Amino acid sequence: MALLNPNFAEEMEPFTEDTALACFNCGTCTAICPLVYEHFPRKMIRYIQIGAKDRILENAQELWRCLHCGLCTLTCPREANPGEIILGLKRFVVANWRRS
Amino acid sequence: MADENKDKAITSKRKVGVYICYCGGNISDHVDVEKVRERIEKLPEVAAVRTNMFMCSDPGQEMIMEDLKSGAIDRVVVASCAPSLHETTFRGAISRAGRNPYIYEHANIREQVSWVHHGDKATDKATRLVSMATAKAEQLNPLEPIRVEAGKHVTVIGGGIAGLRAAKDLADRGIKVVLLEKSPFLGGQLASLDQIAPTGDKAADLVSDLAGQVLNDDSITVHTCSEVESFEGYVGNFRLGVKKQPPEMDPEKIKPPGAAGEAAGEFIPFAGVYNGDMPSVPAEFTVETGVIILATGFKSYMPSKGEYGFGEYEQVTTLPELIRSMAENKAAGNLMEFNGRKIRSMAMIHCVGSRQIPGIHPENEGGYLNEYCSRTCCSATLNVSNIIRTSHPGTRIFEFYRDIRTYGRGQEELYEEAARNQVVFLRFEDDASPEVVRNISHSGDFPLMVKVKDTLTFGEDVGAPVDLVVLVTGVEPNTISDLVEMMKLPVGTDRFLLEVHPKLRPVELPISGILLAGTCQAPMDVGEACNAAGAAAVKAAALLGRGYVELDPFVALVDLEKCGGTGECVNACLSDGALNMVDMEVDGQTVRRAQVTPALCLGCGVCVGVCPENAIEVAGWTLKQYEAMVDRIVAEEVTA
Repeated sequence: MALLNPNFAEEMEPFTEDTALACFNCGTCTAICPLVYEHFPRKMIRYIQIGAKDRILENAQELWRCLHCGLCTLTCPREANPGEIILGLKRFVVANWRRS
Repeated sequence: MADENKDKAITSKRKVGVYICYCGGNISDHVDVEKVRERIEKLPEVAAVRTNMFMCSDPGQEMIMEDLKSGAIDRVVVASCAPSLHETTFRGAISRAGRNPYIYEHANIREQVSWVHHGDKATDKATRLVSMATAKAEQLNPLEPIRVEAGKHVTVIGGGIAGLRAAKDLADRGIKVVLLEKSPFLGGQLASLDQIAPTGDKAADLVSDLAGQVLNDDSITVHTCSEVESFEGYVGNFRLGVKKQPPEMDPEKIKPPGAAGEAAGEFIPFAGVYNGDMPSVPAEFTVETGVIILATGFKSYMPSKGEYGFGEYEQVTTLPELIRSMAENKAAGNLMEFNGRKIRSMAMIHCVGSRQIPGIHPENEGGYLNEYCSRTCCSATLNVSNIIRTSHPGTRIFEFYRDIRTYGRGQEELYEEAARNQVVFLRFEDDASPEVVRNISHSGDFPLMVKVKDTLTFGEDVGAPVDLVVLVTGVEPNTISDLVEMMKLPVGTDRFLLEVHPKLRPVELPISGILLAGTCQAPMDVGEACNAAGAAAVKAAALLGRGYVELDPFVALVDLEKCGGTGECVNACLSDGALNMVDMEVDGQTVRRAQVTPALCLGCGVCVGVCPENAIEVAGWTLKQYEAMVDRIVAEEVTA
């Protein structure tokens, strides 16, 4: 079970402007994404909303598939800026990455 | 025998005109209308048969009026759609031609024929239905509508926002109003709210303003602490027995008004406006009134013990309780306080007591489910969340919902605003409600954990550690079984009062002169309740405007020559007071005979069936007319 961690927003703060909670999970970003890879980027944005840090780190490699074409940001009806969030997540992952 | 011969002599001279509609193909695509015309023309009582593409059009109606004026016909049959649609249209045309509108019979050959049958069978059935109508029309006599004197007086039951609105609107039309309220306060459920979504109006202001207008209006008499004990009469002439008594009050929740020195007309938070009227001994009085408006309102759903931990964990509360707590404790601070505890995170669980599904949700104590959406709670919750997030930014809010239904003007904005305010939404399926459990094994010192299979996180199990769980409880109709029993009010499967038609006659009941206002009918927000109240007020004013009310004449008639005074009809009668046994003089002897009160008669015909003497009939639907119709159903030659 994933635990809701509302304070995760503070952890993200240094890496990007946190607009994830403006997202209402419509999936337009995923539909328009040329990668057509499962639920990208919607799923990543949901993980930020509930503060599921483990899930983000487990699936971090997905972030590097992103081409930063900007279509998701262009089409987001809530102006949640998904493109910028993905970029911020890369910075977050790099800062939190631990070799094991 | 002499009577029968006389009747025959009259009926043989009757000239029935028949008007068959194509309904622009709706009928004529399946019924050979011209063939029906040819067959009907052969019937002895029929003087003229005409067809038209749309009989309800002006040329169609004028055709009927011209035939009546020229004397070519003296009875009318229209064969078209269902009578509920156009019967009044054609009766109106007959009236405009200067004739009695009750010399009319309707044959439904659309819903009952062309929409359900095809080919020769459809044409044959249409012929038979029209021939039945002409046979009945031959027997029809002019009737006069029942005219009932109506006092320009309305009684509103319920002093909530809808009752207040209806009372004030009627008073403004110059109509005297009695407003009955069972509690000592005006304002109803609205008085126990604070800031109203989406406009931000204060409930106290809305209630104080309208209640003030009502209390200051000389045309309105307000009786608080008063309940209806008895009911009799009919539209224009109702009689209500009212009992006024000292109220039973929960001193924990509400102080007796006046105890704290409240002046009359003052708003008492979470109670309402006190009008200074507090009886010390019970009293009874009667109200004579023309129209009754029911504004009996709703009550908030009370969760059962154990429902989402309600009654088990002290940290589980309801939305109305939260609203009250917030209004009474407006101290600013990073964290909201509830019952003296600082709230770091809280869960709102939507749809508690609403949209319940058979087989999934347990039945409530009375053995019922609330299958309807309560409509107001999504916006109310988002409004509260926005207030908390703005005034106490440290308090985190998680909303667990099935669907967000912010359906009204300015309400979707509340949802968007909640997202901007960083409210976290979690969505559950109807068969996988969240669980509220004690938080033992998990991190932090939060007392409770709300667990859910979150569809927004692609079906993963998500747990939210919280300090407070708020159950977003819906609305239920107030218990008014006494009124329902007394007035024989129709109640829907959802236990709200049921209107005649949800779209075309939304504030009327089948009982003439009793109208609906507000949430006794369905969940509504304040604006909608006031809309409904305004509509009921206008309907009441229109009903009473002429000083009299006209009712359909299809009521029971007693043939005093045949009546033997058995009283069977009175025993069988479904409408209290419609039939009575009275003493009267016949041939110098006093005998008991049945007497009809036309305004109370439903025209159902139960009395006709039980009378051993065939001494009672329903006007416009006599046994002779039925016999003529049945003869035509079985007649071979009609479709030959």
